[in-house]
Amino acid sequence: MSREKLLQLGLDLPLFPVTAVGSFPKPDYLLQGRSDFRKHKITADQLHKLEERATTFWIEQQEELGLDVLVDGEMYRGDMVAYFAENLPGFEQGGLVRSYGNRYYHKPIITGAVEWTRPMTVDWWKFAQNLTQKPVKGMLTGPYTIMDWSFNEHYPDRRATCLALAWVIRREVEALIEAGCKIIQVDEPAMSVRPEELPVLIEGLQAVTQGLSAYFITHACYGAFEHIYPDMLKAPVDNFDLEMSNSDLDMLDLFRKNPFTKDISFGVTDSHSHKIEDVATVRRRVEQALTVLPKEQIWLDPDCGLKTRSVEESIGKLRVIVEAAKSLRS
Amino acid sequence: MKLLLANHSSYPRIGGTRELQQLRRTIAAWERKEANDETLHAAQNALVHAAIKEQEEAGLDVLTDGLIRWYDPISHLAGKMDGIEISGLLRFFDTNSYFRQPVAKAEIQAKNGLTVSEFEFATTATQKPVKAVLTGPYTLARHTIAEHAPYKEIGPLTHAYAEVLAKEISALAARGCQIIQLDEPAILKHRADFPVLQRAVQFLSRHKGKAMLSLAVYFGDPQPLYERLQELPIDMLALDFTYNPKLVERVVALGAQKPLALGLVDGRNTRLEDAAKLAHLIDRILLRVKGEFCHLQPSCGLEYLPRDRAAAKLKLLQQVRAHLKGSK
Repeated sequence: MSREKLLQLGLDLPLFPVTAVGSFPKPDYLLQGRSDFRKHKITADQLHKLEERATTFWIEQQEELGLDVLVDGEMYRGDMVAYFAENLPGFEQGGLVRSYGNRYYHKPIITGAVEWTRPMTVDWWKFAQNLTQKPVKGMLTGPYTIMDWSFNEHYPDRRATCLALAWVIRREVEALIEAGCKIIQVDEPAMSVRPEELPVLIEGLQAVTQGLSAYFITHACYGAFEHIYPDMLKAPVDNFDLEMSNSDLDMLDLFRKNPFTKDISFGVTDSHSHKIEDVATVRRRVEQALTVLPKEQIWLDPDCGLKTRSVEESIGKLRVIVEAAKSLRS
Repeated sequence: MKLLLANHSSYPRIGGTRELQQLRRTIAAWERKEANDETLHAAQNALVHAAIKEQEEAGLDVLTDGLIRWYDPISHLAGKMDGIEISGLLRFFDTNSYFRQPVAKAEIQAKNGLTVSEFEFATTATQKPVKAVLTGPYTLARHTIAEHAPYKEIGPLTHAYAEVLAKEISALAARGCQIIQLDEPAILKHRADFPVLQRAVQFLSRHKGKAMLSLAVYFGDPQPLYERLQELPIDMLALDFTYNPKLVERVVALGAQKPLALGLVDGRNTRLEDAAKLAHLIDRILLRVKGEFCHLQPSCGLEYLPRDRAAAKLKLLQQVRAHLKGSK
């Protein structure tokens, strides 16, 4: 069904399309540039040039490796929620909270009605798409995750917050589609954090996608999916991009009990490990997937965004996926 | 009925000033082997002092050390036990913060103390009672990968952790700790396991000596378990009221057979509650509680808030108490 949708959108992808989840590590010159910008040593224009250079680098790398559906690598984003919060009226930057260990981040605070006033990702999508003939995914963070990862001082409750954000994200989806984007990923890594709120997440994604002509993917990771499967399949997307390898493919047991009815971007390399898997390991994981899933439904990618890996590790992990896909196709 | 103001457990370990960012810088240097253990401990001690000072300034009656030294609520304890290896990161409930997952490779046994030295240090920093906090055996077990065959079932794994924690509870009580809070948020997600928790709490309660044992449940709605939680051999029940707006009515309807720690101030959101409205709810609850006192505290640890907001939440506790019409 979804393959037909892709064809209708003019996208004829091979079996086992290879993609990336979203983020790539920022090259050293960009990290330095971001640091310099924070210290007012370089201008916004100078930083922008560095972000373009890094985006170009990653598009070229993906082309060279042979990915089928590319991403811009999010060179212009710090954090997947903070980026949108910084660009949407209604948010303020909060103080630091701990993520884990010695890692902290500024958690946004919703202090007023959140409004979409201008595209936030479209220029970057256009920039990346102009560098390649391959399709580039539009990359957004979903309303439920933005809600869950922000403080809320304005809306009465979590559902109201999620739905308000959904209409904002929908405007961005519409802008991406108008620009020509055909595959749009709406990340919802917080999907399973409160299983009882799955209907709220689905309602939010409905508001984001309903009636719009694009192939929709949602990415989730670090989840307790046993609590929301198979109900999560009601989410109005064509493809679930799921972290599979980090949990030893244990979701396949869930799929055996209740068939997985969507396309899946099947995470075949662990994004949180420095070790680069070999092609045989990746093939073995796909072969295990094929015991449960039809091959036409399977896309291949890393478990998660690769921004915490080095440039070399990221390229290494993508390379083994492409090689495994080629060998599986033949 | 007296209402005491308490901290729940953790407190932010970073803030806007250079002093409040010293621990982060020191840990980073320590990880690069550019700072030694002594320097690290000094930075931790300074942050414990700062956390205690802010709690005192907010007028709290029962303090914690802010769990400043804890990497996370799971690996900080499990990682100090024999038989456990610490593995990769997993999300901790719905907090968007992460813990390192223990792997039970062999029989779990006590090695050295877990938190006694932390408790003792905190008591040197204040004249107020310091509450010791321990993640409970069921929650530790729920977050552990059981590779050791006898631990494949949650019951034996929970009991193994309980045996280690029993020693810790005895040690804390022997050092004069008046109140020990056992955190068991996981039971709200796995209610069918209540008998496992019950056995563990029954076992642990026999080791508390003269200390008061409080059981804290949070990150979920405790209403379905409320009556069964009341029956546990504990001295206080700490509840998170933020997941279910009807919980207050339930508690008022059913009453409480033992003192409650009222988690009515949301430790997960920056919005400051209306002190007068909270006081009204508390007035109604206190009429239905048996005992001489209750605690008012945040719904969970405050480390999920930026420091300025965490401090504001603590000050709010005092404002709420000032609005009480009944007990003070």
